Amino acid sequence: MAEVSGYLLPDELYYHKEHMWARVEGEEVTVGVTDFYQQLAGEISYLELPSTSDEIGQDDVIGTVETGKWVGKVYAPLGGTVMEVNQALEDESTLPNTDPYGKGWLVKVKATDLSELADLYHGQAAVLWQEEEIRKHPK
Amino acid sequence: MYLFHLDRMPGYLSMLLFHELAREDVEALVIVSPAKPMISIGYFQDAQQEVNLEYLREHQLPLFRREVGGGTVYLDQNQIFYQVIYGKDHARLPQSVQEAYQVLSEPPVRAHGRFGIQAQFREVNDLITKEGRKIGGEGGANIANSLVFVGSMMMDFDYRTMANVAKIPDEKWRDKVFQSIEENVTTMKRELGALPDRYDVQRVLIEEFEKVLGPLERAPMPAWVVKRAQALGKQMLDPSFLLGKRKSRVDSFKVKSNTHLLFGSHKARGGLIRSVAEVEGPDLGGLIQDVSLSGDFTLIPKESISDRLEPAIRGAIRREKEILPKVEEFFAARDLEMPGVEAKDVVKALGLESES
Repeated sequence: MAEVSGYLLPDELYYHKEHMWARVEGEEVTVGVTDFYQQLAGEISYLELPSTSDEIGQDDVIGTVETGKWVGKVYAPLGGTVMEVNQALEDESTLPNTDPYGKGWLVKVKATDLSELADLYHGQAAVLWQEEEIRKHPK
Repeated sequence: MYLFHLDRMPGYLSMLLFHELAREDVEALVIVSPAKPMISIGYFQDAQQEVNLEYLREHQLPLFRREVGGGTVYLDQNQIFYQVIYGKDHARLPQSVQEAYQVLSEPPVRAHGRFGIQAQFREVNDLITKEGRKIGGEGGANIANSLVFVGSMMMDFDYRTMANVAKIPDEKWRDKVFQSIEENVTTMKRELGALPDRYDVQRVLIEEFEKVLGPLERAPMPAWVVKRAQALGKQMLDPSFLLGKRKSRVDSFKVKSNTHLLFGSHKARGGLIRSVAEVEGPDLGGLIQDVSLSGDFTLIPKESISDRLEPAIRGAIRREKEILPKVEEFFAARDLEMPGVEAKDVVKALGLESES
């Protein structure tokens, strides 16, 4: 897994400019917040996420996150239909803090148009983007 | 960046305007107070679970749900609100949450200092005096493409109304809530012995913000922003948003960062045991500063609750393995009777589950 200045950035994932990640497995896309996002946001106390069967578009605001300090937004990296919402977050809102790329996933989406992946960062481009974001948003 | 120095505005507008400015990408510092008392809840709160709506109706207190986090707050003209709205590409102001809090807390901290009140920012989002009392609260949010940072300088505060608007499981704890707020929250009037002049406070606050934000362009609030804010108000005051169901901790009341009142109850064989505990710490497993127990159980002698059991629990960390031995020691005494109640019942009444 790549690590960029202390922030984990798994190689195989796609990244949205608002610090969301997408894991693509066929038409199913799992979405979460990046390590960078959770480190800057702080400990998550509440999450508001879409419901199953919701239709979402790429770049849509699909949820809200509250940390002790802030209310932030969650964005859709790709458009599609929400198939599953991580119910474990009901009891453990800090999962995106402790395991952002594993147990802290937020939603699973059936993608409508996988060509939208072209709008996301991946591989070396993702590393360069992350470096730029770190430079712009120091902790 | 604009300065909208509004002084007093009708209640809803005092809160709606910054929401609209953020949507319109207007960078500004807004200085405002609601002209009349109102109650504001955080974005993630469930008003029906956490606010004494009946009290609000009886006392004609408007309710507003903001897009910023945090808890229930009482607002009136004796609080000077600062609302900073800036874009993601602002050259001077930080985008990271942590840095934004540090940088934007400096102006109110220094403003307090100029009135002789030593204040500091304390995690998570409070301004506190050197005695540790809260003298201001802050919060932030991403709204549309803007970052919004809000806070208040509390010149004076209606502690009794604040205690009355909290929805609590048992009215008998109402005085405890009032007492806790009064002990943990202070005001400029309390610290100085007199209410400062609101125009002096606003002037000093603006001066301190300009040191951080740079020179501000003074302007009246544009009529089109007011009109759009009023339109936004129709959505934000709609019951579906205002009273919408949210996940909430209905068994706790946050007095300030690091201080919570936790309410619990448990039905033992010998009767119902109720508790309220004031807990100090970053989470709810902190130090029990104070505790009160009551219920319809039998305890002989009855003074043992206040003379022995409550003192035994005070000062303990709020964890089952810390509390249980202390309560067991109480029950081991031969000179008291509490039929149908065991140590684990008291622990459950404190909202703690077995850790074994």
